[in-house]
This record gives sequence, C-alpha cells and structure tokens, in this order.
Amino acid sequence: MKLNKGKNRIAALAMGFSLALVATGCAPAGSGEAAPGSSSAGAASSDTIKIGVLSTSEGNLAFGMDEAKAAIGVAMEARGGTVEGGTIAGKKVELIYEGTDGTSASAQTKAKKLVENEGVDIVFGPASGDEGETVVQYALTEPDVTFVNGAASPVGMTLQNAENFFRFMGDSAMWMGGLGDHAFKEKGYKKVYSIAEDYSFPYDNAGGFFSEFCAAGGEVTGNSWVPVGTTDYATIISKIPADTDAVYVGLGGADAASFLSQAVTAGVEKPLIGGSITVDTTALSGDANISDAAVGTITGGPVPGADYDNPVWKTFSEAYAKQPKAFPSPSIFGILYYNAFESLLLGIEETKGELGEKHADLRASLSNLKWDTPTGPISMDKNRQAIVDNFLIEVVDDSSGELTQKNLSKSSNVTQGTTVYDRFDGCPN
Amino acid sequence: MSTDQTTSMRRKPRLGAVLWLAFLIFAFAFPYLVDRPKFWIPNIGIKSIWLGVVAMSLVFLNRYVGLLSLAQMTIAGISAYGAGFVIVKMDGPIMMAIPIGLLVGTLAGFLIALVAVRTKAIYFLMITLAIGQVVYSFASQSIEVTNARRGLAPIKREDVGFMHFTELHIFYYVALIVAIGCYVLCRYIAATSFGLALQGIKDSPERMSALGYNVNRYRIAAMTFSSFIASVGGIIMVFDRAQVDPDVVALPATLDILIVAVVGGIGSLSGVFFGALVLTLLDNFSQNLTERYMTLTGLVFIAVLLFAPAGLAGIGKQLSALFARLKGPTIQDAAEADPPQTSPAATAEDAQETQDELSKGSQR
Repeated sequence: MKLNKGKNRIAALAMGFSLALVATGCAPAGSGEAAPGSSSAGAASSDTIKIGVLSTSEGNLAFGMDEAKAAIGVAMEARGGTVEGGTIAGKKVELIYEGTDGTSASAQTKAKKLVENEGVDIVFGPASGDEGETVVQYALTEPDVTFVNGAASPVGMTLQNAENFFRFMGDSAMWMGGLGDHAFKEKGYKKVYSIAEDYSFPYDNAGGFFSEFCAAGGEVTGNSWVPVGTTDYATIISKIPADTDAVYVGLGGADAASFLSQAVTAGVEKPLIGGSITVDTTALSGDANISDAAVGTITGGPVPGADYDNPVWKTFSEAYAKQPKAFPSPSIFGILYYNAFESLLLGIEETKGELGEKHADLRASLSNLKWDTPTGPISMDKNRQAIVDNFLIEVVDDSSGELTQKNLSKSSNVTQGTTVYDRFDGCPN
Repeated sequence: MSTDQTTSMRRKPRLGAVLWLAFLIFAFAFPYLVDRPKFWIPNIGIKSIWLGVVAMSLVFLNRYVGLLSLAQMTIAGISAYGAGFVIVKMDGPIMMAIPIGLLVGTLAGFLIALVAVRTKAIYFLMITLAIGQVVYSFASQSIEVTNARRGLAPIKREDVGFMHFTELHIFYYVALIVAIGCYVLCRYIAATSFGLALQGIKDSPERMSALGYNVNRYRIAAMTFSSFIASVGGIIMVFDRAQVDPDVVALPATLDILIVAVVGGIGSLSGVFFGALVLTLLDNFSQNLTERYMTLTGLVFIAVLLFAPAGLAGIGKQLSALFARLKGPTIQDAAEADPPQTSPAATAEDAQETQDELSKGSQR
C-alpha cells in the first residue's frame, strides 16, 4: 500500500512538474522585474538621503559595528545629529545599520538587503577584506547606488572600474608605504626573511613592503607562508638563515602573539619588521612576555603611534572617547570609518544635499574632495582611491615597562600601485 | 469503529496533500506576491531553494541509509568550484560549466564515500567533517585552482537559447523546478528495490549482509547519489551568489545545512524547504529585533530541538496528537499510547518516521 501511494504521489508530482515547466516557458520575459525595485534612482530629488551602513557585528571582528557607530557618532554629533541620523545641508539623513559576520556571503546578503529592501541611496562599508571584494562586485551591478568603503583594504577593490565605488583610505599595500625604504636605508637591513599568513591580506601587505624593499636593493632570504591559526613556529624559526639581517612577520591576532612569545623562548636574535596588524595595541597589551622580541619592531599602517600630536587628531579622539562602547583609543576600524564617513558628509555638504541625476553631483564632489583628516591630508586619484599619509612606527618600552608604539616618521602622499599581489617567492613580481 | 479509522486514514493523506499543494502554489506565486522582487527572489527565494536542496541530500542519507553526513555542503561547494573554474579560469560557456560542476561534485562525493562508509555513526560524522575541513584548507590556499581566499568571480548567469537565465524570476523558476525534480528523484530512488535495500541496510546492516547484500557498496552508491543532489544545490548557489570563495565550504556553511535539516525535520525530504525558509528569514530580518542575530538563530534551533524534535514538518502531527489528547482518551488514542510504531497515523505521516529515526539515531 505504501509503495502504491508513493507511486501515485510521484505521478502527480511529475504532472505538476511538466505543467510548471510549461508555465515557466510561457512567463513573459521581464515580468519579474516589473514590481518596484530599488528606489535609489528616484531618491535623487527626494528630501531624505538614506545611508546603509555595513560593518561586522558577529565573528572575530564583532567590535566593527561598535567602532563604526562611534565613528559615525563623532561625525554626526559635530553637525547636531545622532548615530540614527540628522540634517545635513538641509536634507534629512537617515542611517540604517546591517551587521555581518565578516564573510563575503554575509556581506553580499546584507548589501543586497540595504539596496533592494531598504532602498538606500548610499552603501557605507564594509569592514573586512573578503567582504570588500564582494561588495565591489555587487557595486558593479548596481550603478545607480553610490558605495563608500568602510575599512576593507584589498588592493584590487579600486582597480575594478566600479565608477560608483569610493575608498577614502590606503589599501593594505599602501599601509607599508615608506617602510621598505626605511628598513633598507635607515635600519640597514640588506637581507630579510619573510613569515606571513597565507591569505590575501598578508599577500598585499607583504607585497607592499617587499616591492619597495627589493627596489631599494634588498634581498629576500626565504618566504614561509603559514596557514591562519598556526600555533607552532619552531620549525619555521629554525629555517631562518644565519646571514639574515631581519625577519618580516606578517601575522595577526593570536598567530602574532604565538610567534612573538616563541621568538622570545627560541631566542630569535634578529630584529623584526611587522605587518600592519602584527604589533597593534591589542597584540602588545597581552599577558605574554613578548617584550624581548617586540621591542624595536618597525611597522607601517594608517594608525598613528601613541605620541602622535595633531590638533585634528586631538579633537577627533576627544569626541571619540565620549561615544558609548568606545575603546581607550580609536581602533583601526574607528579611524578608517570616521575618515570615510566624514568624507561622505563633506561630499554631501559640497553639493548642498543634491545628489544629482544618477548621483553625478555627489560622485563629482567625492572625486575632487580634499581635506585634513585626523591622520593627515587626503585626496582622490582617478580610480576614486584615496592618496593618504602613512605612519611608520616602532615598538618601544615606555617608562612604566608597558609596550607602546612610537612614531618614527610619516610618509606623505602615498599613492596606490597597480599590482594585486599573490603569494610570492623571493621578491614580488 | 473500523469505518471511522479508515476514514481518518483517508482524510489525513488528503490534508497533507492539500498543504503540500498550497506550499507549491505559494512557491510558484512567490515572485508576484512580494513587493520588492529584486530583494525577495534572491535573498529569500533562491537561497532557500539551494539550502533546501543541499539539506535534502543530507536528509536522504539520514532517512534511507541512516548516515549523518557533514560533507554535503563541501560537495555542493566542490561542484560550485567546478562550475566557477570552467567559467572564470577557462572562460567556458555556462552549458559546459553546469555538467562539469555536477560531475566534479558527484565524483568528489564518490571518493569521499570510498573512505567514509567504512566507518559508522559518530566516526562517520567525524570523518565527513574532517574531509570538509581538508577541502576548506585547500580552497583557502590553492591559488592555481580556487584562487585562494579571493575565490572565483564573477560567475554571471547567461541566457541560454530561449531560457533567459539573466532574468531573476526565470532563474528562480528554473531553480524551483530543479528542486522539485530532485525531490521526485529522491522519492523515486527510495521506492525502487535499491532504495528498499538501503532502508534494510539502515535498519539492520548485519542481517542484510547475511542475506548477501554488499552493504558498503550500497552505502557508496547512496552517497554518490546524494552527492549528485548536493551538487545540484551547489550549482544553483554559484549562480545565485555570482562567485565562489572558501566561505562556502567553511564550517559555518556546513552547520547552516545541519540547522536547515533539523529545523525542517531531519526525516522529511520536503520539510527542509521550511527549514531553509526559516533560516533565510532569520538571516535577513532577525537584526530588526536584535543585534546578536546569530544568537537568535541558535535559540530558534534549540527551541525546535526541545519542542518539535521532528522539525517543522512534524508540527502538524504533534498538534493533532495534542488535540486528540485534549479531547480525552478514545480507543484510537489508547492504541497510540502503545509503542508509537503501531499507531495508524504512523503509516500515514512522514513525520512519525522522523520520530522513529531520531530515536534510532540516538540509540546508535
């Protein structure tokens, strides 16, 4: 009886299946698109500008959303608004937040939701690199919406010819701008061994350093690309050739902490050169005894050292400290989100709140924007990628025995290269 | 009294069929019911379909073979990579990418089966999970094949002949019909003598072995078939997302499939689509309620496990049992109070089978 029932059901389904196939074939082309989709094109002349904010609220970068809100809070409160919105250049600005888990799939879903369901005019974000690459691909399919990057740093993002995508920060290769020359000329490192994690961010970050270092005349004595999550560096440390002058460490988070503590126990005598996230404040504030390895490490990035003195920076950090859930000092996400959001608001103010036909006016003003950010002057190149200042930093032991970052120098007007780096042996091509 | 019982047995499948038909009509009318199709069709509709198809391959294995595989999303990911490789790296046409993707996914499933079927229960679960992690590591690091973390993009839909795949609603309907086709295929395979042998192997592998069946070969064949179904899901996914990167074979994606299967009902082939719908809705809208949207998904999962162990597909059965109990004991209920397998409803509803399978699974 059961089998018969099953066969009947299958027969019924097969009939339904054929009917459905016919129905699909008969459906008028384009009818699915007939209902209203994005309201963005029509919103150009409306009185409200909707900005959708993407940042990470889950996963290991979950603090991204709090930092994004703190950054937006600083910019909006300076104009009498709040993190929820306000009035900019006579127009009502409404902010809609969508949190992601840092994966590309999540960024894709949320960006689509902001554009298609919430009908935002501008997408502001995302925070992480993998998400950034996806959002640029999506931006290419939504030419009527303007996209302003949050903190995503892959080199390739502004090399895709997405005319509606703007990035008001350096990419991860630019973050190393000036460090290669400094290591070769000032520090006198001629031969460097490279240890870095095996994914796109360290490729670009290390690529930025070594392209400059090799061009200055430096040599690479070997490259070790390790999977993210590697905890045992003993074999890699033993592979470092004796005639190496310094070791480049392109690791982040827990991997960086493991390496630094093992470098102390294994007695690595070589000075270190850090990637942009290797010796950040979170790594230095850990409990492990890493000072022997970490002190003297030089690195580069968009975040200034603790002794940075600049009036715009001072105003920003004071306003930042008043935000709910603010860190003791702004994190990399806080700084990058602020620079980008303030740029966007300046762009809107420049056009007096009129975005223009297909956002032409807003995009023109963003493309020509020049202003002094807390981390230095910013201007845009032809790919809508910012030309920025970059900080060279050294880790020092302050008077109380705590590890902190000291500014060595600042590289001005760092421009983007055209190379998207992949894993390389020796010097990058 | 016997007449009453016969009537109730006749009525129940009809009710099930009506609900089934209503869901099908809803699925077909969906693009015309929503106010913003460019959001609802991809984010809710098509994503629910591919999640459901991949979860269906897991349910097929669990229901008919008694194997809980955590490699189904991995296999779907491999087929997505196969199709993506043809389009991005070889610049091949979509009609070549789809069969190659399906072939690569099914073949990968066959190879995984060769290793995994020698183990049982928790060891099978662990080995499929481990293989999934190996594939994830490979996908994250192989620049030549998978383009490492950056993944393969863009993988755009193209029009093929009279099928305008670039039109979102056409893509939706094709995906829906393919999903229904997969369901029919699973039911058909289960009803063949091969499917019956599989169910025999699930109930008592030793007895089937004594009868002369090569248990491992049957399991390999079943896994290969379910890999084909998972690969179909992977192909729909790759054209929905327009890219493929290591996140699709990462652990969270694997767990999504498990959540879909459990919420929908791990013994119900069609229930997975309810589970997928719940997950996509939570994914898109739970942030309107709370910032910690993953926590909410986890709570829904726990609630389903606690209050509806047979998943959403079993809720109807649970409710009717509850109403029957509220009405007071009847002779029919007295019969249901006996071992559940003897209940007349048990033969009529898939959901009851789920209950049995869950209890068997926990014994195993």
